[in-house]
Amino acid sequence: MTASIVLLAVLLVAIGSVAVFIRPQRSSTFEFYLAGRRIGVVTNACAICGDYLSAASFLGVAAAVYASGLDGMWYATGFAAGFVPVLLFVAAPMRRFGEFSIPDFLGRRLESHSVRITSVVIVQLVILAYLVPQAVASGITWELFFGYGLAGLSPYATGVLLSTAAIMLMVALGGMRGTTWTQAMQFLLLLAIFVWLAIVAVGAGFDYPQAVRELSEQPLANPEQVEGRWQLEPVTNQLAPDTPAYFGEPGGQYGQLGQFALIVSLAMGTAGLPHVMNRYFTSPTGTAARMTTVWVLGLAGLFYVLAVLLGTAARSMIRDMSGDVAWLDALTTNGILRVPEHALMVLGQIFGGRAGLGLIATGALIAVLSTIAGLLLASASSWGHDIYERHINPNATQRQALWAGRLAVAVVAVLSAVLALGVRPESLAGQFPSIVATMVTWAFVLAGSALTPVFVLAIWWRRTTGPGAAAGMVTGAVVAVTMCAAGVVLDGAGYGELLLTPTLVSAPCAAAVTVAVSLVTRPPQHLSTIWVRLHGTAADRHTVKLARLTRTGLGQRKGGHR
Amino acid sequence: MSNGSLPLAGVIVLVWGSVYLVTQRITDPPLGAGTTLLIGTGLTVALVLGYPSALRGPRSKRPSHLALEGQQPGRQNTTIAAVGRSMPLRSGLTGESARRTAQLLQPLLGGDSVAITDRERVLAFAGPGSDHHVAGDPTATPAGRVLRNDRTVLLRRRCELGCSTEDCPLRTAVIAPLRDGKSVVGTLQVYRLDGTLSPKGTVEGLAGILSLHLELAELNRQQRLAVDAKLDALRAQINPHFLFNTLNTIASKAHTDAEETRRLLVRLSDFFRYAVRQEGHFAEFGQEYFFVRTYVSLEQARHGDRVQVRYDIDPQVLTAQVPVLTIQPLVENAVKHGLADKVDGGTVTLKARVDPLTRTTSIRVSDDGVGVPPDLLRRLSNGEHREGEGMGLRNIAERLASLYGERYRLDIQSTENRGTVVDLRLPLG
Amino acid sequence: MRPTDPLAAEEHDTPAEVDATFRTLRRVAVGHVAVFASVVIAVPLLATALDWWSQGRLIGGMSPMFAMTAFGLYVFFFVVCLAAATLSTAVEERMLGGPGHEGDPQDPLSPNDGAPRP
Repeated sequence: MTASIVLLAVLLVAIGSVAVFIRPQRSSTFEFYLAGRRIGVVTNACAICGDYLSAASFLGVAAAVYASGLDGMWYATGFAAGFVPVLLFVAAPMRRFGEFSIPDFLGRRLESHSVRITSVVIVQLVILAYLVPQAVASGITWELFFGYGLAGLSPYATGVLLSTAAIMLMVALGGMRGTTWTQAMQFLLLLAIFVWLAIVAVGAGFDYPQAVRELSEQPLANPEQVEGRWQLEPVTNQLAPDTPAYFGEPGGQYGQLGQFALIVSLAMGTAGLPHVMNRYFTSPTGTAARMTTVWVLGLAGLFYVLAVLLGTAARSMIRDMSGDVAWLDALTTNGILRVPEHALMVLGQIFGGRAGLGLIATGALIAVLSTIAGLLLASASSWGHDIYERHINPNATQRQALWAGRLAVAVVAVLSAVLALGVRPESLAGQFPSIVATMVTWAFVLAGSALTPVFVLAIWWRRTTGPGAAAGMVTGAVVAVTMCAAGVVLDGAGYGELLLTPTLVSAPCAAAVTVAVSLVTRPPQHLSTIWVRLHGTAADRHTVKLARLTRTGLGQRKGGHR
Repeated sequence: MSNGSLPLAGVIVLVWGSVYLVTQRITDPPLGAGTTLLIGTGLTVALVLGYPSALRGPRSKRPSHLALEGQQPGRQNTTIAAVGRSMPLRSGLTGESARRTAQLLQPLLGGDSVAITDRERVLAFAGPGSDHHVAGDPTATPAGRVLRNDRTVLLRRRCELGCSTEDCPLRTAVIAPLRDGKSVVGTLQVYRLDGTLSPKGTVEGLAGILSLHLELAELNRQQRLAVDAKLDALRAQINPHFLFNTLNTIASKAHTDAEETRRLLVRLSDFFRYAVRQEGHFAEFGQEYFFVRTYVSLEQARHGDRVQVRYDIDPQVLTAQVPVLTIQPLVENAVKHGLADKVDGGTVTLKARVDPLTRTTSIRVSDDGVGVPPDLLRRLSNGEHREGEGMGLRNIAERLASLYGERYRLDIQSTENRGTVVDLRLPLG
Repeated sequence: MRPTDPLAAEEHDTPAEVDATFRTLRRVAVGHVAVFASVVIAVPLLATALDWWSQGRLIGGMSPMFAMTAFGLYVFFFVVCLAAATLSTAVEERMLGGPGHEGDPQDPLSPNDGAPRP
């Protein structure tokens, strides 16, 4: 126990020193939204990870692996896979075109105001769909760890409101430069927590392959409440219903179609997430944006490998220890946790005592807060920049635009808090394996259906037109929302898996509509100028050359003084 | 079929189809999925690996190693054939090549020791006696006779050999001249220890073959010189009209658009820097492409929208090695002869592909200009030419022939008023 | 950017060049996406075709499929992305702008010679 605490302290000190090392300075609208566009590739990659990894990744992945083994990994795979299309199709051209935000990008590329307005609406929807589960998650976490409310509110409501207020304050005061740095730090902290847990688990005798073998020897069974009593119920094998499901084999959670539907939904969604894409505008060049994505994939890959490992470790070690540790009895049935989301926290408590538990809980809150901050900032830039500066008050001073953005942050945060309070998690908890992960998936579905197909076409197909893109976005959004709603109403009957993760259907619909409408309308007038800006590297080379000249110039001056 | 990959893909689909038919429909009970996958994968791998050699035709047998066959002195036919196939003297009469040749010949000839000399010195000596007969010695007197008279000399007695060392084991010698064209450039000397002579005919025959190799070497060198000269000519002759026209264009823009002027000047200097600086016969396609781009953007500045260009380039082709200054003349031809005379202009298309299976680079320059009249086209493809026409194509074809021999193709197709297509296929790497 | 910037004139792309680069990059992207998609689809699909994939035991107790989803896929994503990023950057370097002679200060013909030095 002492050794593990020392290790933890060392990791935290390391992060603290990195934090001081890359500490930022600040000011102006431009700085507020885009941090001056000179952010190191690795720092930016860490910040993207911080934005991207929400509670669904931090607790959800390990929980899904804990509950269903191999099938639980598809979440992790999908989250990581999302950056491959980002790199291949979106990152570099988006940065080269160089606008402030997604609506701005689409509006300029397609020379159309209707596209700008449509995409602002879609972006806001995606942000809300992502914000609500984060608020829900912080509510749940508060409820679990403090168990009491403040000022006469329920514990759940307290958690939701406190986290929202904290974030509003942070974004309004700090601006994005502040949050780029905080996001990077938050990611490093999450990664450090996982590294610590993994090292300690292996130190305590956890053997990954051996654990998988042992866990797969008997059919998978999870605790369920049957007539008021907890007992282990075997998990149905979705691939072959008459044979049992095993931890190390597929079938514990998804049928054949469900696997693909989930992976496609998550992989397509990332390219359309506004808070992630906005980070790309801060890279100095398109090439840097590309390399940032490679780093993101490396870091996120490491994170998810550890998450999956910890999920397995939790299942194996908690089972082995349940006889010896008294406090586990309240949480487990025959050595299996009743709530899979507790997996990491229980591991933390086993290895680090009360401090370990607190650390994991802090990690979860950090994951939630960093994602919310990114989302609110994306929301602020799309309201403040795309709507206020462009349509409401074109002569706005920087100060006014800044305040418009901050006001928007407040409004969106309050809206999401209200929605989160409206969702009563206990009413949905029985329906889905993890309410947070499922709701996050919906945000991915919306982004992947409405925004990603339009992005890819706008960047890689010259003929794309404004009306086409607008029609495609609306189609994608409508199809996705309709199918999700049908899925919730029908509750998994028949093609339920596909209905709940409908990108497989809705994205092709959006693409088809975009192409069809584009073919009968006229493409933007200044297409060849737009194209040179979107795919040309002249500005990049200019930037690099200037940077090089500045550096040699400084070097010469320094040499001259000597 | 411009690309070899498509038929291969078709064949692979067919193979999987038939594997499915055989294992799942015909066999009863059907084989397991794993076995089927293994069979299919195995066949696919075999096909992909075997496909390029099928396209190239069966591989010619490697020349078998010589030393083994030549152990028995009687079999002169194989010996000579073997020497004929390996050509150590192809690079000329140098110390290194002579040493290799002597080592090669020493076991093959009826003799015990073999020496090769040029006009002044011994270049190589192999066999007994090499302790005091070493490379770099001045040639002995009898060799001088051969060099003077251009005739084979037979030395039957030890004293005639002109060796001053007492216990030299060499007894007899046959010395034959090595010629390069008409002049004698050296000798081939075969010594024996047992007092008999090596067969004169064999030694003369081998000397003849070696002479032929020397002649080929000289021819090679001259050919390369000629190619160098052509390349130099090409660099120097970069059309003066082009320079004047471009400078005029730039001058006319200098007053109205300073930025454009500066840009064009940078491009012009890039153009000449590339043309002058190129060393060697090959360059990366990417560099040649840069040269083409520079050229085209200068032409576009002059002709405006009348000259459109479309590049269609494989990512793999960018690093392929291509002969320098080959593509730009093709594009220049298309602009000058195809589009310049057409009133409303047109488009030049440069398409470059690599076929990894057949290991060829294919480059196609096409235009939708006025085309080439049939009689000129016929003369171009027959290699005839008159003053001032088709020089560019001829120059390219000759350079390619000297660089690749038979392993390239340069095709030209043209329809009057519809356009011209020049197709160039080069082996990769 | 500013018309007076002497460096801006040197870095300029023509529409034809950009269009060519764009089409080459599109090939790169589509090719890599095809590889990416086929591997991601193959991993779950192989389980139905090949029992060994999901039930075999590699080192220790992991099935090949488990090892692939737990580590292999992330490594694969990283490799695909690194390859695509490197190739795209190399393509852009070769297809747009001049060859990299500006990095050579000794070059007497270098266009940088005219550039003002601070």
